[in-house]
Amino acid sequence: MHLLAQDLVNGILAGGILAVVALGFSLVWGIMNIINLAHGAYIMLGAYATYELFTRLHVDPFLSLPISFVLLFTLGYLIQRFLINWVVRAPILASFLLTFGLSLLIVNIALIVWTSDTVGVTTSYSGANFTLATVTVPWVKLYTLIAALAITGIMQVWLTRSKTGRAIRATAMDIGAAQLSGVRVPQIFAIVYGLGAGLAGVAGTLISLSYPINPSMGDPFLIKAFVVCVLGGLGSVEGALIGGLTYGIIESFATQIDVTIGTQHISGSGLQDAIALVVLLIVLMVRPRGIVGRATA
Amino acid sequence: MNVRFLAALGSLTLCMTLAAPSVPVSADANVIVFGSPVSLTGALAKEGHLTQEGYNFWKTYINAHGGIKVGGKSYKVDIKYYDDESKNNTAQDLAERLIDQDHVNYILGPYGSGTSFTVAQLVERKKIPMVEGNGAAEKIFNQGFRYTFGVLSPAKRYLEGILDLTHSQKPAAQTVAITAASDAFSQEVAAGAAAFATAHGMRVVYNNKYPDTATDVSSIISALKATNPDVILNAGHLQDALLVHKGLKEQNVAAKAYGYSVGPDTPDFITALGKDANDVLGGAQWSDTVKYKADRPGFYDTAPEYARAFEAAYHHRPDYHNAESTAACLAFQYAIESAGTLDPEKVRDALAKLDVTTFYGIIKFDSRGLNVFKPMVTNQIQNGRLVTVWPRYTAVAKAVYPAPPWGQR
Repeated sequence: MHLLAQDLVNGILAGGILAVVALGFSLVWGIMNIINLAHGAYIMLGAYATYELFTRLHVDPFLSLPISFVLLFTLGYLIQRFLINWVVRAPILASFLLTFGLSLLIVNIALIVWTSDTVGVTTSYSGANFTLATVTVPWVKLYTLIAALAITGIMQVWLTRSKTGRAIRATAMDIGAAQLSGVRVPQIFAIVYGLGAGLAGVAGTLISLSYPINPSMGDPFLIKAFVVCVLGGLGSVEGALIGGLTYGIIESFATQIDVTIGTQHISGSGLQDAIALVVLLIVLMVRPRGIVGRATA
Repeated sequence: MNVRFLAALGSLTLCMTLAAPSVPVSADANVIVFGSPVSLTGALAKEGHLTQEGYNFWKTYINAHGGIKVGGKSYKVDIKYYDDESKNNTAQDLAERLIDQDHVNYILGPYGSGTSFTVAQLVERKKIPMVEGNGAAEKIFNQGFRYTFGVLSPAKRYLEGILDLTHSQKPAAQTVAITAASDAFSQEVAAGAAAFATAHGMRVVYNNKYPDTATDVSSIISALKATNPDVILNAGHLQDALLVHKGLKEQNVAAKAYGYSVGPDTPDFITALGKDANDVLGGAQWSDTVKYKADRPGFYDTAPEYARAFEAAYHHRPDYHNAESTAACLAFQYAIESAGTLDPEKVRDALAKLDVTTFYGIIKFDSRGLNVFKPMVTNQIQNGRLVTVWPRYTAVAKAVYPAPPWGQR
């Protein structure tokens, strides 16, 4: 029984990170209709930014969150303005190719700069934990979850309250109408793509605390971002959050499945991905717009 | 700027980054060209680079010492690489390109069992011999392939030394928990460890796998913790070792020994984990303190000699990936010399008959092409340095057992 409680906690802690991983990806996809295959590469850059700040200047990873955000936001903004902007209205294949190429380019540059060595951010408090009843909670992952919730909260408030945020949502609803109301759409797209990259950078910082860093570390997260987005609903903050938590909890509970059929032993932990994807399929059949996604015209 | 132009631009970016810097293969008749698809990007990039270093170190030595002598004539050697991006199918495609378009003489194996397996299928079709030093899954050797030879001990042996060691302590370790990634190599390592533990009277209290793309293993660790094992083993690669070891500390899982199939041997393990890396055990194909002496000339005679020269060249101690990769080259060198010709079929036959002791240990293949004759060693990280602790006859330090609690290392 206590294992189930532990699994729930593990799932929520992992899900919080997945929510941030998916948030930027979801905004770019939902608002610009671009499936940003370079998202994993931005996550990796965020992790390296944290690593460099930590090892060279002894900056605590949590303090480097805003730095990762600003660095990656700037990079994303520039990339959108001078590259992606050209394919925003093009068929999806063009943006697919472009962002895939970008991803390869960034990963290969990272290989030159940082080599393929695997590094890690190990702080003095990494691994520290406390026990609540029978459940062990690692501090780092709890802080990470709190940071993740704070970031999604800030994003939600900003998108609904601020002028730019409202312009972004207007653009997502109807580009033409937004333009007629005086929204400078290219500018909005650059901000959204910058946000996507910035949030990926933040996710990279959070991930670096528990996951090994190397130039290809972004790949598995890119795939998870994709699933989380579709699961929760595209283009919204709450979609990413609910999707991330759901995915984390499903994966966590999947490890408990242990069935023996005849001589065939089936272990759920080896099938985590498969189980999560089956759940995705069911959600798509029952609620094609995702758990909290809104139907669009 | 129109869409078609941009699509073309995108594809161009793609092609430019995909194509590795290509060095034209020498058409010189006095050069033996080896080809190797190797993981320079992707999950296995680190291990792939270690593999490449091992190959290049041999190449530099051989070329500086007159090359390989074949029937009275000396040949220089060259190695052509492509990046397989840690993908099994890509490795196979690239091996085909190396053989069909680049016309390499022989194939040196990629890193990893998955890639070695797909390339093994290809060299079988092309009848070009491959010697590999980095694919230990026995699956590769149970297909009846004739052209693939592996210089390493089989995967199932990787964690046996750690079990043997912990079971010989007083009091002896009784219970074992095993976690394993889902790839072929890791699964064989885990199965071998479980069988060995059971055969030696230890109880396997937890044995489970996770997808090799896992980004979080907390729940596996929670389940493992509930079984309270004496020994915790992980069958996987460097990434797995780092992820699992951090996870064990986060959940305060205390065991008497922690062992990994791949990880502790690469310097990255120590730099990434700091003090937490201390007292961790790792199975290894080789260490620079093994006491073999080469029984024929042509390369460094002993492990320490190899290690010194290697460190001078690459500024880090050679780990077993480096050594086994170099050993794969040595197998070719001695087989080609004894064949007296470059004919692939004759070189294959010479490989099958090879029986040589090198700095790396014995290189001799069973009827399946696998080097079952070489024992493995067990290393431990002590005060940030990797030392060999098992088997006793080759150990340079006594194992720290039981491992002190977290925070006291």
